[in-house]
Amino acid sequence: MTSPPTEQTYSAERERAAFFDAIRTSTQTMPGLFTWGVVTGAAMMQSGLSLWQSLLMTLIVYAGSAQLAALPLLAAGAPIWVIAFTALMVNLRFVIFSAVIGPHFQHLNWRKRLWYGYNTVDLVMGFFPQRFPAHTLGKPAGKQGYFTGLALSTWLTWQLGSITGMVLAQQIPASWGVGFAGSLALLAIAIPLVKNRPTLVGVAVACTVAVATVHWPYRLGLVSAMLLGIATAVVTEQRMAKRSETS
Amino acid sequence: MNLSLVEYLWLLVLMTTGTLLTRSLFFMVGGSRRMPDWLQRSLSHVPAIALAAIIAPDLLMVQGALIEPWLNIKLISALVATIFFLTTRHMLGTLVVGMLCFTALRVWL
Repeated sequence: MTSPPTEQTYSAERERAAFFDAIRTSTQTMPGLFTWGVVTGAAMMQSGLSLWQSLLMTLIVYAGSAQLAALPLLAAGAPIWVIAFTALMVNLRFVIFSAVIGPHFQHLNWRKRLWYGYNTVDLVMGFFPQRFPAHTLGKPAGKQGYFTGLALSTWLTWQLGSITGMVLAQQIPASWGVGFAGSLALLAIAIPLVKNRPTLVGVAVACTVAVATVHWPYRLGLVSAMLLGIATAVVTEQRMAKRSETS
Repeated sequence: MNLSLVEYLWLLVLMTTGTLLTRSLFFMVGGSRRMPDWLQRSLSHVPAIALAAIIAPDLLMVQGALIEPWLNIKLISALVATIFFLTTRHMLGTLVVGMLCFTALRVWL
């Protein structure tokens, strides 16, 4: 707010232009995002959450993959802390998003930063760094407008999709196995996240341990599977790094 | 499952905190502080592993027991969906193909 008034008017126009630019850019992903929301909304209802429980969760938690991950655990009656822990693990990919996008908004006050952080969803990560690479750090022009355009179109499309899914779910008979669509959705989220061998080894360990410990109380088997899988991935990565150093 | 109101509200609060914490972390911590490389690499493994731990029992087991893979229609459908995804990289198509396969097997077997 230290800039002279003339520059501010110029900047407001620029933010508006960037905003509409972002809306245009994101239209190509809207049909996919909407349908994904429909699947998530329907899966929430099928897992036994009531309409208002699903609605409130979608509107407030606003993290599709974490919500999808929570559903089979909810249906199986896992303790709340296990569900929350699992959701947190799935959300950890956002820490990397925040490390990429966050530095661009350090000039804002903390309330705005928290709000922008909350809205750093996949679509923002997909488009924002293309338009504003790391070398534009410290040059805020157009960033708030562009970010808001991406975030708003994501929020609207996703929530409309989710609510449509919740309404549709009440018409779909349980025998169609829509719950399985939730598992497939998780699979389609998980596969592209496996980008290298350490992750793959961790995934294999996690699958094996999860199956072997499925009867443990309080779903502790799931937590053990995650922790052992992560530990294996980290160790494998270190070993591979050492091997490439010595060779 | 039947969540009590208190349990549901707890879940809502914890999951929302999780969203805020992970997405806002580097918006909130100071200026030029950057994430160490090793931490970023370690973090990048976690979501896939967490998701795998959730999906595996669902796909590999039927009512809590391992069964022959060729009798497990969920596993077969998931494999078909995986092959489709690996060749096309299309997320929604993967869902549709997996569900079609699952429904066909369920109806005809």
